[in-house]
Amino acid sequence: MTLVDQNPAPSAAPDPASSPRPRVKGNPWLPTPSGVWLVTGIELRRRRPTVKGWIFYGLLLAAILGLGILLAVVSGDEKTSMPMELVLVLVLGAGMLIAPSLAATSINGDSSEGVLAPLQMTRLTAGDLALGKLIASWVIAFAVLLTMTPFLVYAFTRSGWHWDELLTVIGVILLVVLTSTAIGLAWSSLAARAVASVSLAHLTTGALLLGTLLAFVFVQPLVSETVKDTSSYVDYEALTEEQLYAYENWDWSEVDPATLPCVTSQDQWEYPVAHTEQIAWLLLANPVVLIGESSPIISYDTWEEDGRAAPGLFAEIHRAVSDARIGPSEADLAGQQYDECAMLVAEANGERYDDGWEDQQEVNSVYPRAPWIGLGVQVLLLIGSLWIVIARLRVPYKKLRQGTRVA
Amino acid sequence: MTATEPEVMTAAVSARGVARAFGSVQAVADATLEVRPGTVTALIGPNGCGKTTLMLMLAGLLRPDAGEIRVAGADPRHDSAAVRASIGWMPDQLGSWDNLTCLQTLILMGRGYRLHKDEARERGTGLLAMVHLSEFADRPTRVLSRGQKQRLSLARALMNDPQVLLLDEPANGLDPRSRIELRTLVRDLAADGKAVLVSSHVLAELDEMVDDAVFMSKGRTLGDEAAAKVADAKRRYRVSTLDDVALRTVLKNGGVPFDDDPSGVVIRVGNEEEAFQALAWLMSHGVKVHRFGPAGSALEQTYMSMEEERR
Repeated sequence: MTLVDQNPAPSAAPDPASSPRPRVKGNPWLPTPSGVWLVTGIELRRRRPTVKGWIFYGLLLAAILGLGILLAVVSGDEKTSMPMELVLVLVLGAGMLIAPSLAATSINGDSSEGVLAPLQMTRLTAGDLALGKLIASWVIAFAVLLTMTPFLVYAFTRSGWHWDELLTVIGVILLVVLTSTAIGLAWSSLAARAVASVSLAHLTTGALLLGTLLAFVFVQPLVSETVKDTSSYVDYEALTEEQLYAYENWDWSEVDPATLPCVTSQDQWEYPVAHTEQIAWLLLANPVVLIGESSPIISYDTWEEDGRAAPGLFAEIHRAVSDARIGPSEADLAGQQYDECAMLVAEANGERYDDGWEDQQEVNSVYPRAPWIGLGVQVLLLIGSLWIVIARLRVPYKKLRQGTRVA
Repeated sequence: MTATEPEVMTAAVSARGVARAFGSVQAVADATLEVRPGTVTALIGPNGCGKTTLMLMLAGLLRPDAGEIRVAGADPRHDSAAVRASIGWMPDQLGSWDNLTCLQTLILMGRGYRLHKDEARERGTGLLAMVHLSEFADRPTRVLSRGQKQRLSLARALMNDPQVLLLDEPANGLDPRSRIELRTLVRDLAADGKAVLVSSHVLAELDEMVDDAVFMSKGRTLGDEAAAKVADAKRRYRVSTLDDVALRTVLKNGGVPFDDDPSGVVIRVGNEEEAFQALAWLMSHGVKVHRFGPAGSALEQTYMSMEEERR
C-alpha cells in the first residue's frame, strides 16, 4: 500500500432515528410478566359477571352453604373427613367444568368476534396471550374454591387431616384444573368453532376421568392368566349319615368338623386372574385417583389411635388403587378362593374364619402413595397444550384454522 | 474516495411478487406495490381480489408463500415484532370488547403497545376526540353504531403512533360527514409523514384522498398497465354542448381526436393549462359549450374498465 488516504473517512452512518420506545427485533413469543398480567386483566374485565351472573353465583354460594350446614348437622360429633372431601370434590368438579368451558371459547371466540388480531398486532407476544387467557379462565374456577373457604375451614377442623395435607391436595386440585383449562385453550386454538372446541375440551376431560377407568377394565383380559379353581368343599357324597345330619343342621356336638371328608374342586371351572399391577398406571393417570394418591394415608386398622377420622372417600380410592397396584397374591394365582372345611372348623371352635381379606385391606390402605405418574401426566398435558396454543397464536400465521379468516 | 452512501429507504412499505394461497384457492398470486412516507396509496379491486389478504401479509399477520415484503425496513417474516410496532392496522372486521368502554379499550390497547398507563389514557382521550367519540368515552362499546365502531377501530389503529397505516375499507358504514372527516384525517396523517395504504370501494372519495393507486384483480396487482389507464383517465375531459353535431365537425376539422360519450364527447388534455386553451379554442370556433370538465373519477373509470373481469 503506497497510497494512504490521510483524510479520515467521514462517519458514514447517520444517527438512526431515535424512537421513544426500544426497537424490538425478531419475532418474540416468550411470555413476559407485564404482558401476561395485561392479558389476564383484559380477559377478566371482559368476563366480568353481569347482574344475572352475580345472582347465579349467589345461588351457588347459598346452595353450598346449605349443603354444608346440612352435612354438619347430620354427621354427628365424631371426626369425619367426608364433608371436607365433598368440598374438595366439588371444587375439582366445578373447576373441571367451568374453566375448560371458558378457555375453550377464548381463542376461536375472540377470533370470530374480531378482537384477537388487534391484540396480536400489539407488542404482546403469543406467550402473553396464551398464559394470560389460561390464568384468567383458571382464576374464575379458583373463585369457586374461595367461595367454599369458610365451609372448607369448618370441615377441615373435624377431618383429622393436617394443614400441609390439605394444602397439598388443594395444590394438586388446582394443577388438575389448570391442566384442564390449558387443554380447553388448546382445543380453542385448533378448532374453528366454539361448539367444537367446547365439546372436545369436555371429551378430553371425560377421557381422563372415565376413559382411564374403562381402559383399565377392558385391558384386563390382555394381562390375565387363567387359573383353575382350587376351592375346597365338604364332599357331600362321601358323608356318613351322622356327618350328614350334623352338616345339615350345623350341629357339631357329636361330630368333629375336622373329620369331614373334603374335596378340592379340580378341572371343574377356570377363571381369569388379571395382573393388575401391570396396568395400574392407567388408574394412576386418572385425575381423581391422583387426588386420592395425594391425600394422607389413613390406616384401616389404626386410624383411631392415629387421631384420624374413619377412612373416607380418598382413603378408599387409595386402598382400591393400591389393591390394583399390588396385583394378585400367590394364593389368588393358585386359584384358591374358599375353603369350606377350614371355615367349618373355625366356626365350630368359635373362631372367625380368616381368609386374609381384612389383612389385605390394611396392607392396601397403608401401601405407599403413587402420585407421580398422575402428576407427570398433568404436567405433560399442561406443557403440551400450552405449546400448541403458543404455536397457533404466533403471527405471521402459516396456517389458519380451517374455514376461518384472520381477525 | 467516497464513502458508500447508506441505502436510502424510499418506501415505507414495499411488496414484490407476493403470493399466498389458502388450500387450493390462490388468494394473492402476484402482488407488487410501494407506499412512500407522506403519501396515501389506494388499493382498489373487486370483491375477493385479495386486497385484505395482501393487507394481512403487509401487517405481518399472515405469512406469504412467496415474494418479499419490507415494512419500515423490516421483513415481517423474520422481524414481525418490529413490523407490528411500526404499523397501525384497521381491520375490515369490526370487533370490540363489548362490555369495556371506548376509553378502556384504547388504554388497554395502548398498554399492549407498552405505553405507560397515563400516557395511554392521554393518547386515548385525544384520539377519541379526534374521531368525535368523546361523549362515548365512558360507555361500553356495544352501544356504538357501525360507523362509530369503525371510528373507534381507526383510533385503535393510531394508538401506537404508527409510521405506516393500513386501512382496510375504512369508509364502510360511515355517514357522509364522517367520510369527509376521514378524508381530511388521512391527508393530515400523510402530511405528518406517515405512509398510508387504504382500500376502499368508494372510489369517488379516494380520488380526492390518494396520491397513488394500485389496482388488483384476481390476486394480481396491475402495475404499469393500470397506472397508464389512470393517467389517461385523468386527461379525459367531457365537453357538453347545445349542438353536438357542430362540435364534432369543429373537432374533426381541427384534427382533434375525441371519443363519443352519451352526454357529449370526451377529449384529452395534458393539464389544466391545456384545458383552458382547449376551451378557449372551442369557444373561438363558436361551439356552444355549456359544460366542460374532467370526465368523472379517474379511479372509477379505470376500475370500470377492468370490472369486466369480475369473478
